[in-house]
Amino acid sequence: MELTRRDLLKGAAALGAAAAVPTTASRPALAQTTQKKELVTAQSGDVSKFDPHYSTSSNDIRVSFNIFDNLTSRHPDGKLYPGLATEWKLEGQTTWRFKLRQGVKFHNGDPFTSADAKFSLERTYDPAAKTMVATVFSTIDRIDAPDPYTLVITTKKPDPLLPARLAFYGGQIVPKKHLESVGNDAFNAKPVGTGPVKFGSWVKDDRAVLDANPDYWGGKIDMDRWIMRPIPETAPRIAALLKGEVDVITQLPPDQEDRVAANPSTRVAGALYAGLYVLAVNSKRPPLDNPLVKQALSLAIDREAIVKELWRGRGIVPSGPIAKGDNHFDPSLPPLAYKPAEARERLKKAGYKGEEVFIETTVAYVSQDKAMSEAIAAMWKDVGVNVKVEVIEYSVRAQKNREKSFKGVFWSDPTSTLGDPDGMMWRLLGPGGPQDYWRDAKFDELGNAARFSVDEKFRGQAYKEMTKIFLEHFPWIPVIQPYEDYGVQKYVEFAPNPNQQFEIRRFNFKFRRA
Amino acid sequence: MRGFVPFLAQRLFRAFIALWLVSTVVFVVMRLSGDPVPLLLPPDAPTSEILRVRRELGLDRPLPVQYMVFLSNLAHGDFGRSIHYREPALSVVRGYLAATVELGLTAFVLAAVVAVPIGLLSAMRRNTVLDHAAMSLALVGQSAPTFFLGILFILLLSLKADLFPTSGRGDWRNLVLPALTLGAFTMASIARLTRSAVLEVLRADYIRTARAKGVAEAWVVAKHTLKNAAIPVVTITGLQFGTLLGGAVVTETVFSWPGIGRLAVQSIYNRDYAVVQCTVFLAAVMFVIINFVVDLVYGLLDPRVRAG
Repeated sequence: MELTRRDLLKGAAALGAAAAVPTTASRPALAQTTQKKELVTAQSGDVSKFDPHYSTSSNDIRVSFNIFDNLTSRHPDGKLYPGLATEWKLEGQTTWRFKLRQGVKFHNGDPFTSADAKFSLERTYDPAAKTMVATVFSTIDRIDAPDPYTLVITTKKPDPLLPARLAFYGGQIVPKKHLESVGNDAFNAKPVGTGPVKFGSWVKDDRAVLDANPDYWGGKIDMDRWIMRPIPETAPRIAALLKGEVDVITQLPPDQEDRVAANPSTRVAGALYAGLYVLAVNSKRPPLDNPLVKQALSLAIDREAIVKELWRGRGIVPSGPIAKGDNHFDPSLPPLAYKPAEARERLKKAGYKGEEVFIETTVAYVSQDKAMSEAIAAMWKDVGVNVKVEVIEYSVRAQKNREKSFKGVFWSDPTSTLGDPDGMMWRLLGPGGPQDYWRDAKFDELGNAARFSVDEKFRGQAYKEMTKIFLEHFPWIPVIQPYEDYGVQKYVEFAPNPNQQFEIRRFNFKFRRA
Repeated sequence: MRGFVPFLAQRLFRAFIALWLVSTVVFVVMRLSGDPVPLLLPPDAPTSEILRVRRELGLDRPLPVQYMVFLSNLAHGDFGRSIHYREPALSVVRGYLAATVELGLTAFVLAAVVAVPIGLLSAMRRNTVLDHAAMSLALVGQSAPTFFLGILFILLLSLKADLFPTSGRGDWRNLVLPALTLGAFTMASIARLTRSAVLEVLRADYIRTARAKGVAEAWVVAKHTLKNAAIPVVTITGLQFGTLLGGAVVTETVFSWPGIGRLAVQSIYNRDYAVVQCTVFLAAVMFVIINFVVDLVYGLLDPRVRAG
């Protein structure tokens, strides 16, 4: 279904572009300041859950990180800042002591204390709660709340990334007393947190209305209300921005950026995605069990052309499994090379006899997935690979993901949740992880050691070696690290966060006023 | 009206059978098309988790048992719990009904009010410029894909001409573009159908007789022509209305209109059994009711039907 719509969209856009271009002339150049007190945003899908522990989808994260606070907070500049915890320090190897912020109230008036923090974190991995974030805090052994404003977390083994883990999904703090009294379903229908906005109302697939929290500890945000509207189709979403009906839109595709940039009242704002778009490989399926074949497949991809043509330059060519911006990213590593002649050599050396290599692609799950699949298939055909592209539905992908039954390679957009290789490469490719199709004893040894070491030099070295092993075996074929772009009105001032959070707190978002 | 009561009873019985068949088909098909549980859990969830959720949702009991439970629940208005929204399926669907009916009704009324007079006029002024223009426009309306029309309206009438909002639900202004988009096909169909039905009737002997008797032309049109042309028009129009209510998913997606068409498609992708069943069933109920009404009107208009 989505296939047909996209094809029709191209035709409609072509026709529409001709009609739409004169708009900029017919519309008066709008002032670049505003007096409005209401923020209206549009994203590609509605909220599915308001309870922060039951969804990790980007459409939900954008809202839940503003209704709730975490103990620590990852700002758009990539650094970790205090949130509901004002300071923290490591005592010994495995004990972290957090000092909690005083005078904070939940939206229903209840005070925030260490009991809420302990409850929230334990809830994520409580088997009875059945949350979606049950593995986020798997390194925690026990949590103690010796007084209302102190939290002591003991980890099973030394875990240098604990504060970073607390900043991401799973770490949102929920009110213990309120949740226990109303139950999960009522809480999901009317969420209560400590964040800069509180829940107002929700009409499914129409709009969510969130009212500003006047007593927010970080200062009342620069608006009285935030209305979030889901607009699933790209063209109407952009039209709403161009017409001034919404202030910010998300998921702006690169080929539409010119329209937004050309419009006098709007601009494009983007951040380099804290993660990679990769073709994950089912290395158990021949011929993909042969490292030489995978090396050849990587060498045969002209990533620069993909960045230039499909992404209009809005992306960078990755150099390995670690995203730019992460800890231990090695800037000295060259971007993954395009060497088709060498690709053919490696295929010959591998004894490749024309076995089928499947690309199972979704449509618009990973941005531009289908278009990139077709481009890469053509590049692989050029070096003599017998490649077959198959389009699968998102729900089918989810099933294959669960059963690890992909036929060949498939798109994935791993997010670096901790700003560290442990949160991306190791989380996904480690033994028992969701993309465990290939194992190497040395790789595993290093990954484990790095996770539980507090010596950053040692960790850096470990990840360097793991990268070497990775570039020999290619359990992922990284393709691009793209910019994720927003369209905004020029009177909106905000910095996009690379980890897909939509940060509207005072330090990051304001309307430019006269 | 002798013979009307058995006619009514027969139609009612048929309606009931149709509803039962629809719900059974939905039940069977949804369970053949894949496992919903992986969609609800993170990719790294252990198998024990999957099994537990499966058991909790009753998906591990034998099919015949699931079916009997399903039928008895249906009779009580219990369509199950939405996996995705964590609330009763019926309450989820209810939130979308008003928007659907609002859009469907407006589209239909707009279509009928515009199309019938045009069809009538075209037939009476056959082969004039008016006729040709109207029928060409109707052809466009019937052939243009809904998605294309919708986006075109947004770009031209909203963005360029600044006449209406781009999308979403709000006041009457928000209704116009989606109603035009959704109603375009129906409008075109009704116009063409009315035209041919009227032409058909105008050729009939009883029209010639009426004219020969000296009856005023206006009266010829109003009483004899319209009433008889109405029969095929009402029948097809009734069917169209049913389709409008249940199948507006493309229009709803383009205009982010919170209707049940969109809900149904999203729930299919999410394998949200309960909501799909509820939506399909309610759409079927509306369709069956409309057809039932059409049958009754048809019976009233055409005595020949009642006898059979």
